[in-house]
Amino acid sequence: MAIKAPLRRTGPAAAVSAPAAPRGAVAAANWRESLFRRAVTGVVIALALVWLVPVAWTLDTSIKPETSTIIIPATWKVSGPTLSAYSAVFSATDLGRWYLNSAIVTVIVTVLTVITTSMAGYALSRGKFRGKGFLFALILAGIMIPPQALIVPLFRELQSVHLINTYWALILPQVPAPISVFIFKKVFDGVPVEIEQAATVDGAGWWTAYARIALPLVRPTIAAVSIFTFVWTWNNFLWPFLAATSPTMMTIPVGIGTVVSGVGVVNALQMASAVLGALPLVLVFLFAQRQIVEGVAGTGLK
Amino acid sequence: MAQIVLDQVDKVYAGGVKAVAELSLDIADGEFMVLVGPSGCGKSTALRLIAGLEELTDGTIQIDDQVVNDLPPKDRDIAMVFQNYALYPHMTVEQNLAFGLQQRKTPKDEIHRRVAGVAKMLGLEDYLKRKPAALSGGQRQRVAMGRAIVREPKAFLMDEPLSNLDAKLRVNMRASLSQLHDRLNVTTVYVTHDQIEAMTLGDRVCVLRDGVLQQVDTPQNLFNHPVNLFVAGFIGSPAMNFTMARLERPDGSGPGAGKAAVSFAGYQLPLSAEMISGRPGLESYFGREVILGIRPSDFEDASLADAGWARMPVTASVTEELGSEILVMFLLDTPPVENKDTAALATDEDEDEAGISLAEGKTLWTARASARSRISAGSGVELSVDTSNLHFFDPESGLTIGSKAGEIPAP
Repeated sequence: MAIKAPLRRTGPAAAVSAPAAPRGAVAAANWRESLFRRAVTGVVIALALVWLVPVAWTLDTSIKPETSTIIIPATWKVSGPTLSAYSAVFSATDLGRWYLNSAIVTVIVTVLTVITTSMAGYALSRGKFRGKGFLFALILAGIMIPPQALIVPLFRELQSVHLINTYWALILPQVPAPISVFIFKKVFDGVPVEIEQAATVDGAGWWTAYARIALPLVRPTIAAVSIFTFVWTWNNFLWPFLAATSPTMMTIPVGIGTVVSGVGVVNALQMASAVLGALPLVLVFLFAQRQIVEGVAGTGLK
Repeated sequence: MAQIVLDQVDKVYAGGVKAVAELSLDIADGEFMVLVGPSGCGKSTALRLIAGLEELTDGTIQIDDQVVNDLPPKDRDIAMVFQNYALYPHMTVEQNLAFGLQQRKTPKDEIHRRVAGVAKMLGLEDYLKRKPAALSGGQRQRVAMGRAIVREPKAFLMDEPLSNLDAKLRVNMRASLSQLHDRLNVTTVYVTHDQIEAMTLGDRVCVLRDGVLQQVDTPQNLFNHPVNLFVAGFIGSPAMNFTMARLERPDGSGPGAGKAAVSFAGYQLPLSAEMISGRPGLESYFGREVILGIRPSDFEDASLADAGWARMPVTASVTEELGSEILVMFLLDTPPVENKDTAALATDEDEDEAGISLAEGKTLWTARASARSRISAGSGVELSVDTSNLHFFDPESGLTIGSKAGEIPAP
C-alpha cells in the first residue's frame, strides 16, 4: 500500500508555530498592569504633592509683600513679588555669620566622623584582639541611647574644660556616630579579605591596607555617611542652641529660630530665612543625588 | 631563589581542628613543588603558613636558612598569587604591578623598568591603563602573576591560580606557567586539587590528606609507586581500580599448579616470579586477602594487545569514546572495597550530589582501550591486563605491599 507523504506547505505560512496564547488573556494582563502602573503613579504624585506643597507655599510667601501674607483667605497669588524679605534677613540678622558657623561645624564634623568611624569599623572588621565582640556590642548599645539623654552631662563636661561657646563645643559631641561605625564595619566585612592579604604580602602595613586598599573600595559608603552626617549636623538645633549661647557662634537652625522668636510673626521674613537656611542642603542634594541613592542602596538604610 | 624547609609544622584552629599535622617538607632552591590533595586536606593552610598569613601552632619554617616563624609576610620576601587573583580593583594594571615595589621604596625609575619588563613578558603592555574589571579572566590571571614576578622574590606561592579559568585556557596557562618557571627558576610552591595540574607542573608533588603528608615524590614515581591506597586512588585519571583479592599458588597437577596467581571475582591473573621478587614482603601475603589495584591504562582490548598479557573476559556496561581512546566500564561480581582510604577518595566536594548508581553491590571498574577497538556498551569483550604493573595493598593499613617509595614517606 502506498504511503502518502503528508502535504507540505511552502512559503511564510509554512512555518510551524506553537499554539497562540488566548488574545483575551494577554490583553487582560496588559490592562491590569497598565492600571496598576497608573495607580502607583497617582499615589506617588499625591505623596510628592504632600511634600511639595509646604515647600512651594514657603517660597510663595517669601516673595510676597508682608501685608499680602496675612490676607484671609490665604491665597497663592503673589501681587507685586518682592525680595524685600530676603534683603531684610541679611540686613536685620547675622545670616552670613550663621552660614559660616554652620559650614565650619558641618564640614569638620563630617570629615572627622568619616575618618574616625571608618577606622573604628575597619578595626572591628579586620582586627583580631580580645574583647572585640564586647567592644562592638558596646558601640551598638550607643545607638539605643537618645542624644537628648546625654545633653546635661555633655554640657557640664564641656563647661568644665571651658569649651562652651567655641567651635569645639559644637563639633566634638557630634563626631561619635555609633550607627556609622556599624555601617562601616558591615561594609568592610564584605570586602574580600584576600585583597588586603595580597597587599600585606606586597609589603603594606596596617595603615596602608586601610587607607590605600580598603577605604577606596567603600567610596559609596563614605559618600552615604558623609551626606547623612552633613544633613544631620546642618539641621541639628538642640545641641548648638545649648552649647553656643553667643549670637556670633549660632548656626543656621539656631539663628533662624531667633528670627522667629525675636520679631514675632513676620511671615515673609520667616519664610525667607527658612528658604535661605535650607538652600545649601538643597544644593547638596541636587549635586549629589546619585551618590545619595547609591549610598543608601549600598548601606541598606532607608 | 631560596630553599624552603618546613619542620614538624602544626596548625590547630580554635576548637581543636588540626589543619596541618607534623608536616615536614624540604623544597629545594628553584624547585616547583606542588601540594595536592582533596578539599580540606590542609594544602592551602600550609601555603598560608609559609606566607605568614596564618600563625604556626608548632614547628618551624625556614626560608633561605632563616627561621621566619615570627616574621610578618612583608618581611619574608615571598610573592603570592591567590585563587581569585585578589587584584586591587580601584587601581590600574600598571598600579597593581607597581604597588609592591612602591611599598618597598623602590626608586621610580626601577619601578618603571620592572613593570615595563614584566608587562612585555606577559603580554600586558596594551592593558596597563585598564582596571581589573575591564580584563578577561586570563588577563587578570596574568596580572596576578605579573604582580608576583615584578617583585623578584625569593619564592612564589600560588594558591590554585588556574581554578577560575575555563578548561582550554587552563591548559594554555599551565604551559605558560611551566615555561615561566623554566625561565625564572624561582622556588615555587603551588597548591591545587587537580591532580592533572600536579602531575604536569611539579618537579615533585606532595600529596596531603587531612593535614598529614602521604607521599612526596616525582609525578612519575607517585603514579608508578604510590605508598598507600589513598595516593594510588588519588593520582591518575581515571582512578585506579580496586578489589579484594587473594594471592594463591594453586595445588594439584593442572596447568596452573604451583604458579603464583591473584584471584578475584571469578578471575585469576598469573603473577610472574620477577614481579613477586620486585615487591619485598609480598611473599608473606600468599594465602591471604589483599587489596588489588589495577590502573585503567594497564588494560587493553585483547585483540590489539600483547599476546603474552593475561586475559579477562568482561561485559562492557558503559563505554566513553574520547576520540584518542575508549574508556570501558564493566562490573565485577564482588562488593566494593571497604577501607577508610577508599571511602576518603569517594567523598569529595560534591558529596551532596547524588549520582546514578550503576554498581548496586558490585564493583565498577574502568579500563582504557585503544581508539581502534570495537568495544561497544552491552557487548562482551576480552581485555588484556599487564600483570607486571599490578599493585597490592595491605587491607588493614592500606599501605602498598613492597613499595619502593613507601616505608616512610620521603620528605
